Amino acid sequence: MPVLRECQTAVVARNERWTDVAETEPYEAGWASEIIIFLRVLESEGALAGAAAAVQISPDGIHWIDEGARISFPAATGQVAFVRLAHFGQYVRLRAELGTGLACKVIVTINAKA
Amino acid sequence: MTAFDHSRLPAEPAHRLDPDHPAKPITQMANEKSSTMPTGPTELSRYDPMRRIIAFDDFDRGFCGWTQLVGNYEHSLDSMLPGFAEHTQPQLSNVTHWDAGSHGAFDGTYALKIATRPRAGSRNVAIKRLTFRKPCPVRLEFYFAFKPEASELLLSETDVKSIGFCYDLQQGAEGGNRVMPHFRFLNAEGGRHVQKWQYKDAYASFSDIGTEGKTVSFDHLADQDWKDLPGGSQKICYNEVPTKINWHYVRFDFDLTTMKPVQLQCNDRTFDVSGLSPIVIPAMNNLWCMMNILFFAEAATDKRTFLYIDSVCLSGDF
Repeated sequence: MPVLRECQTAVVARNERWTDVAETEPYEAGWASEIIIFLRVLESEGALAGAAAAVQISPDGIHWIDEGARISFPAATGQVAFVRLAHFGQYVRLRAELGTGLACKVIVTINAKA
Repeated sequence: MTAFDHSRLPAEPAHRLDPDHPAKPITQMANEKSSTMPTGPTELSRYDPMRRIIAFDDFDRGFCGWTQLVGNYEHSLDSMLPGFAEHTQPQLSNVTHWDAGSHGAFDGTYALKIATRPRAGSRNVAIKRLTFRKPCPVRLEFYFAFKPEASELLLSETDVKSIGFCYDLQQGAEGGNRVMPHFRFLNAEGGRHVQKWQYKDAYASFSDIGTEGKTVSFDHLADQDWKDLPGGSQKICYNEVPTKINWHYVRFDFDLTTMKPVQLQCNDRTFDVSGLSPIVIPAMNNLWCMMNILFFAEAATDKRTFLYIDSVCLSGDF
């Protein structure tokens, strides 16, 4: 029987209200070779068009740096945006800097595959 | 209670023997090599299971069915009780630290990591959801370690509030009970390194969830109603910087026939818990024969608490 690839989905932010600067909790995916991060907006206040969240990586889960990839917020409530990543090391998180007057409730989901 | 016979183990652990394909007895293997060889595969010989292994979860093999304890909700996620809303998914961790790199698990590379948020009082819970097929004595064993996030160059021994475990059980027959034995190792409280075992025999009131009249919720892990285990103080190894971990052993015996706890062991200490009552609730409408196992961690300060589980062995006397 072939060895099946480990595949796991983790909701790393559920119904969390984001304002100003928001970050997901650090997620360890060192066992995975690829991930997709999904961002779904449940509610929003203000116009989110143009807002984006940055993917960050870390050597230790404490010190973070932008990986370079970004997710633009979906245009409407209920829609989903995503970003694909490979070669991200071990720790991953999403960091959003929302402008003045912006707020939203989100679900952020990481799908990781060995 | 009948002990598990390690000689029935196949070369690869975690599966019962197929009677049509018996493995070579471990004792025979030992005789062929050395009389001082261990009595079974290393992964299981460090456990003392009863005669049937219900689950052996070594997190080098993946998540093994351990997931997040999600709070109940209806219509809106806003209806979830706050204590549950903050829970997140457990992770597979190689226990990496900023000063040295990856620590690894008891054996192999990965452990299950249950991480709180960086907030005093924060809690996270991982769960495995089973049902039982026979009311009988059962034994839960696991190897664990805990540390706060090493975000300061300090010993940080009082930043972890507690780590613990519980069953969520319900008897199979109508008229029975839902029974929830809870234990936690209270590591620190109010800045003091208290290091003692506690249990619960009471629970907070239920809350209605939503409007359909079908769902309720209660935070049975809330930081209230915990009582000290008689003689339950225990000095547990806490290595000298927050990035050094040591693995500890726990065994908890419970009897599903009487729905009473029997004995708790942590490393070299054994505690008689047979006189302690678990949380007992009248049976609920949809949880017959439920057998859930939960691990949890609580933070004492604004620093993440990490509970690592290397592996878990659940066995029964049937």
